Amino acid sequence: MNCQEALEKLWQYLDRELDGESSVQLQRHLQHCRECFSKAEFECRLRALLRRSCGCDQAPPELRERLSRLLRMF
Amino acid sequence: MNEPVERTATPPGGAPPVRAEEPRVSPQGPNTETGRSPEVALFEEMVTTHLDALYRTALRLTGRPQDAEDLVQETYLRAWRSLHTYKPGTNPKAWLFRILHNARIDRYRASTRAVQTVDEIEGQDPAFVVNETPESLVLAGVMEPEVRQALMELPEVFRSCVILADLEGFSYQEIADILGIPRGTVMSRLFRGRRGMRKALAAYGRDHGYVKAN
Repeated sequence: MNCQEALEKLWQYLDRELDGESSVQLQRHLQHCRECFSKAEFECRLRALLRRSCGCDQAPPELRERLSRLLRMF
Repeated sequence: MNEPVERTATPPGGAPPVRAEEPRVSPQGPNTETGRSPEVALFEEMVTTHLDALYRTALRLTGRPQDAEDLVQETYLRAWRSLHTYKPGTNPKAWLFRILHNARIDRYRASTRAVQTVDEIEGQDPAFVVNETPESLVLAGVMEPEVRQALMELPEVFRSCVILADLEGFSYQEIADILGIPRGTVMSRLFRGRRGMRKALAAYGRDHGYVKAN
């Protein structure tokens, strides 16, 4: 697998959506290609940053309370 | 609710099969019994488990806490009314998110605000190549508020895919089912959304001296 093919499939690979064979090929490419590896690593770090930034909000207690009250009416 | 499992033990004498007692379904009126019906219990567990995820998604879609709360409440009511459409064994989170998405769409329709059409935004399908030079983008310098802003600035059709994939961990097929679009469209929107975020963050990094201008 060359760099072009690897980068075409990188997101599918990171999303765990790539079929087994392509996944193995891509993994092999990443082990040998420093440039593609650093791109993959960057994507992982960015996703982690996105999760830290946006994935931690919790529903306000008032909303939880209001929904519980609604549920008691069902 | 799903069809109750029929226990078709035919008694001797050929009497018609006895249907197992159906779970009590009472979407109307208060529950007057002391115990909760299985439906209420199931529903309560589902919603409690996924309430934070529903809320933060609603918040990222609407951009305003009050709108997010309203959207979640609407989702909650719709989910209760359509609990019979939930198939046990399928992903309850995906089912709730589909309801949230539909409620969101209906609100859009109800509002008089013109919505940019998807075609206008999407244009041609991109090649899914990660070809920026991300090494130059120093993530250590990018703060969480900038990431939130970069996400919020994406057009909603792309933002919703990024939220569902990167924040909530849904598969392409689950996202396709939630949004009612083909899997290939999910991939295309996800690609554009992610690329848009990277561009915004790179621009931010440049403005603040984290990234060297090319």
